Amino acid sequence: MNTDKNIELHIPSVMGYEKIAMECAASMAKKMGFTEDRIEDLKTAVAEACLNAIEHGNKLDTSTKVGITLTVEESRLQVSVRDEGKGIGKIPTPNIERKIEGGDKPRGWGIFLIKSLVNEVTFEPSPGGGNVTKMIIYLEK
Amino acid sequence: MNKDIQVSISNKDDVSILNIKGDVTAITGETIEDAYQKVSTAGAKKILLYFDKDGYINSGGIAILIGVASESRKKEQKIRITGLSSHFQKIFDMVGLTKYTEIFPSEELALKDF
Repeated sequence: MNTDKNIELHIPSVMGYEKIAMECAASMAKKMGFTEDRIEDLKTAVAEACLNAIEHGNKLDTSTKVGITLTVEESRLQVSVRDEGKGIGKIPTPNIERKIEGGDKPRGWGIFLIKSLVNEVTFEPSPGGGNVTKMIIYLEK
Repeated sequence: MNKDIQVSISNKDDVSILNIKGDVTAITGETIEDAYQKVSTAGAKKILLYFDKDGYINSGGIAILIGVASESRKKEQKIRITGLSSHFQKIFDMVGLTKYTEIFPSEELALKDF
């Protein structure tokens, strides 16, 4: 593996810091030649994965960190987001009608958005503990 | 007041306009909800949400807007949206918010629709 093309950063488990990871991924995608539309898709997906890690994975525990790795490949960018939590369990597919009617809470869109915006995504336990969300986005949709 | 967002209220005829500058997230949501409650309490039936094209909106912010859309239905208010970037227009469409509110390319066109 060409480690020169990997970037790692760690952000605190504080809401708002997901924007740092988001901007970092966007800069890399721009450098790789992604279109503006795909960069916007990537930004939202990375922000949502980090928010899940901060809020649901690490439970906003400020002693924990969220690790983000960007791996540049020929025609795609892989982004891994790791937390130190125990997993967030199964999240039901959100339903706007039920949310509008008040039957379901309005939140719960993060995973739906990630799945809708990237080409491939997996949610798995990390070998070192915690969980990892791996997203792959291609230069061409 | 949250420094990541500024919401100002203005009126054009019988339309209340919420000018939303900055991030729309769970953290800033209270500022948007407060502005919405303020115009609702004043009796607004037509409300235009005017977003910042460069603003950051995340799933927490979308949840806030779903809450506003939900309440507006109960209060028989019309909500219209403008100022969104093409990316967030797509996101609002993906989550289904556009079933409950309409997005317009300009303030002028949004105001014309009410």
